[in-house]
Amino acid sequence: MRFSQQRGFGFTVFLILAAELVCLHLAYARQMPRLSCLTGWALLGVILLLALYNGRKKLPFLPLLSSEEWLQFHIYAALLTGVLFAVHVSYKIPAGWFQGVLAWLYLLVMASGFFGLFLSRAIPKRLTTRGGEVLFERIPAIRRQFQERAEQLALQSVGESKSGTIADFYLRELKPFFSGPRNCSRHWSEDGGPVNRILAKISDVKRYLNEQERATLEEIAVLVRQKDGLDYHYAQQLLLKAWLFVHIPLTYSLLLFTAVHIVLVFAFSGGVR
Amino acid sequence: MSRQLPAPDFDSLRYERPNLKWVCGKAADGQACRLGPDSRGRCRVTSECRPAYETKPGETTGRYRCTRPPEYGGPCGGGPLPDGTCSRPLAKCAPVRSLRAKRIVFTFSIAILTAGFLMVALCGPFRWGFISPGPLSRQHATFTFAHRAKAEAAGNCSVCHQAARGGASTWFQAAFQARPGPWQIRALAAAGSSSLTAIDRNCLECHAGHSFHEPNVDSEHSCSDCHVEHQGPGPMRAPSDATCLSCHADAAVLQASIAKASSLPAAAFDYRPAQGRVIYQTPRPPRGYTRIIHSFSTDHPEFEIVLNHLKDPDTLRFNHQLHLGSTNIPAYWHGRKLTCYDCHQADAAGVHFIKINYQHNCQPCHSLQFDARNPGLLIPHGDAGRVRAFLRSLTQQYADYAASGQGMGGPARVQAFAGEQMTRLLLDYHSEEELERRVFFNNGQLGPVVAPGGTNQQGAAVFPGCAYCHEVTSSAGGAPGVTDPFLPDRWMIHGNFDHSKHLVSATGVEGKILCSACHDAEHSRKTSDVLLPSKEVCVQCHSPKGGVPENCSTCHSYHSLRKDSMPAR
Repeated sequence: MRFSQQRGFGFTVFLILAAELVCLHLAYARQMPRLSCLTGWALLGVILLLALYNGRKKLPFLPLLSSEEWLQFHIYAALLTGVLFAVHVSYKIPAGWFQGVLAWLYLLVMASGFFGLFLSRAIPKRLTTRGGEVLFERIPAIRRQFQERAEQLALQSVGESKSGTIADFYLRELKPFFSGPRNCSRHWSEDGGPVNRILAKISDVKRYLNEQERATLEEIAVLVRQKDGLDYHYAQQLLLKAWLFVHIPLTYSLLLFTAVHIVLVFAFSGGVR
Repeated sequence: MSRQLPAPDFDSLRYERPNLKWVCGKAADGQACRLGPDSRGRCRVTSECRPAYETKPGETTGRYRCTRPPEYGGPCGGGPLPDGTCSRPLAKCAPVRSLRAKRIVFTFSIAILTAGFLMVALCGPFRWGFISPGPLSRQHATFTFAHRAKAEAAGNCSVCHQAARGGASTWFQAAFQARPGPWQIRALAAAGSSSLTAIDRNCLECHAGHSFHEPNVDSEHSCSDCHVEHQGPGPMRAPSDATCLSCHADAAVLQASIAKASSLPAAAFDYRPAQGRVIYQTPRPPRGYTRIIHSFSTDHPEFEIVLNHLKDPDTLRFNHQLHLGSTNIPAYWHGRKLTCYDCHQADAAGVHFIKINYQHNCQPCHSLQFDARNPGLLIPHGDAGRVRAFLRSLTQQYADYAASGQGMGGPARVQAFAGEQMTRLLLDYHSEEELERRVFFNNGQLGPVVAPGGTNQQGAAVFPGCAYCHEVTSSAGGAPGVTDPFLPDRWMIHGNFDHSKHLVSATGVEGKILCSACHDAEHSRKTSDVLLPSKEVCVQCHSPKGGVPENCSTCHSYHSLRKDSMPAR
C-alpha cells in the first residue's frame, strides 16, 4: 500500500470511528449514567496501546508489523483519543486542580505529538534541500574532519606564502565556528545570516591575499559552507529528537495521574458517576 | 548543495550504536575511540592498539607488531615496546550518556518527580482542595454544611465521601470495593438509573426522606443521577432532561410504574401537603402520569385542566367580561377601564399574585352600605353569623354610629337618632326579618338599590345583598349561610410558574406579554371558566421554534414535600 493510500485508509477509519463514538455517546449518554467510566477505560486502553509503540521500537526482532505501520497506527489512534477525551470530559475542561492538571497533561501530550508529527513531516523535506543524509551520531566526527582540514589549510598557507594572514583570520574568526555546532536557533528559523557574515569576512580578507592564498581561502570557504550545512543537519535532527524529551516524559506523567484518577473516581464517587 | 555532505572521506563502514547507554567522552569532539565505554559507563581504552606477537617461519623468537587500524593512522612509527605493550598510551575519557539514555534518565526523573508531586499533593494538607473536582455549589456552601464539615475531623470531603475519612490506603480499598468497581465493566455499562449508593446515605443525613416523587416510582434513584456536585460555586445545575427521560421516555419503566400504581390505594397519591395554600386538585388520570414524553413541545400531554375541561368550583359569582368591559365602571375609575392589575397584584417576588380579597379588591366599588341615608354604616363582611348579629342589634349599631361616626353627644340624642333610623328602615323593609332576608338573599334583582353591583357618579354602589356575589343557603333552622368562596393559590401543582419571567419578555422582544395572551378573561362570563392557557399557548415560546427552553426542570421539580414528612402541629 502506498503512503498516500495508507494515510487515506487510516484517516477514513479514524473518521468512521470518531463519528461512531460521538453518535454512541449522544445515543447512550442519557441511558448509561456511568458512560464516562467506560469512555475513560477506552481512553486509557488506547493510550496504553500508543505507549506500546515506544516498547515496540525496543523489540525490533519481533514480527509485530513494521515500525512504519506502528507509526501510522500511533497517529490515527492518537487522533481517536482526542475524540474519546472530548466525550469523556463532556466537551469541557474539568474545573478541579487534579482533573485540570490531568486534562492539560493529556492536551500537552497530544499537542507535543502533533508537533512531533509536524516535525517528522517537515524536517526531512528541509534536510533534502541542504544535502544528503548524515547520521546524527556521526555529525561530531564529520565536524572534526572539517575542523582538521581547515586547520591544516590555515597552517599550510603559512608555510607556502610566508604570511600569517589566513592563519590569523582562522584563529580569530573561524576556529570558534569549526569547534562545535553553531547557530542552532538560527537554523531552526532558516536564517542564513551567520554563515553569510563569515563568508563576507572571507571575501573581505581576500583582497589582502595573493593568488595562492586566495585559492587556499576558497577551499576554507567551501569547508565553511559544508560545516554550515552540517550545523543545519545537526539543528534540525536535534529538533527531531528533542521533541521526544517532552512527549515521552509527559506520557508517563499522564499515566501516573491517570492511575490516581481511577482510584479517586471510584473511591469518591461511591459507584455513581 | 547535495555534494557538500556527507564528508567525502568519512568511513561509511563504521557502525554507530545510538541505542547504547554510554558513548565515548570524546565523541562530541569527533574523536571517539574505537572501543567506547562499557555498559556501565567506564572508559575501556588503554593504548592505541594491542600489539600482536608474530613469529616468522624459521625463527624461534617472534616480534610484536603494531595493530593500529588504517583509519586511525595505521601502524605507528615507534611500534610496540619490547614487553609487548603499546608505546602510545591513551588518556582515559569520561564517557557520557547517549542522547537516548539521556532521554530515558530525563523521562525517569520526570516520572519520579510526578510521583513525588502526587504523593505530596495527595498526602499534604491541601489534598482535599487538590483532588476536589470543582467548587461546591451554592447549596452546599452554607453555614450548616460548613458546621457539619467542621465536626468531621477528616475534613470537608468526609461529610459526603466515606473514603475521605481515611488515608490513601482507604482510598484504594474504597475504589476497589466500589459497586460497581473499576473492573466491573458490564455493570458500568448497565443502562438505566443507578440505585442508592453509599454516597446517597450521606445526602440523606441532611435531606431526610428520599421518596419525594410519585409513590409509584418503580425504583429509587441515586441523588447524583440528577444532582451533579462540584460544578462551580453557583447554584447547582438543574437536572438535565436526560435524567427525567431515562424514565419518562422508557416504556418499560413506565409500565412498571403503572403496575405498581395499581397496587396502591388512591389516597397514596394525595401526598402533597397544602402548606396553608388553597390548592386546586385535579383528578389523577386513570394511568397516572405515565405517558411517554420526549419533549414538552412534541409529546407532553395537554394540561389536565384543559384536556378534561375542568371547571372552577368557586361559588362566587364573578363576570370577568363585565368587569373588563363595563361602560359603568370607567366613571368610577377616573374614566378608564379596569385592567387585570387593578385586582391581580403581584407578590413581592412577582412570581405569583396576591389572593383576591373583598377589602382590597371589591370594596372600592361594592360597598356594604345597606342604608342609603347612612353611608358610613356598613354591614360586616366575611362571616354570616356576624352579619346576623349586626342586623339583630341594629338599633345599637345606629346608636354607635351616631356616637362615633356622626359625633353626636348625649345619650338622649343618640337614642333619638337610632330610633328615627330604625323607624325609617322598617318603613322601607316592613320588618326586621324582611330586612335580614333581603340582606342575605337579595341578588340584585330586588330591593332598593341604585345601580346594583355597579357604581354611580356619586361613588360606590349600595349594598344589594350577599347573594349578589355569594352562594347563600338556608339551613334547616332558618339561619342563612354563605358558602365560602374557593380561591385557589395554585391551579396546577405539578409544575411551577413564575409570572415575573413571563410578564417581561423572555424572548428578548421588547414590551410585556399581556395577560390576555395566556388568560382569555375578556370573554369569560362565568365563574366556572378556568382561565388557564392550554399547552399550545406555552409551546408558542417554549419550543425549539419559539427559542425558549423547554426543559423538564423549567416547570417541574422531581421532589415534592409529603404530608408525612411535615412536622406535626
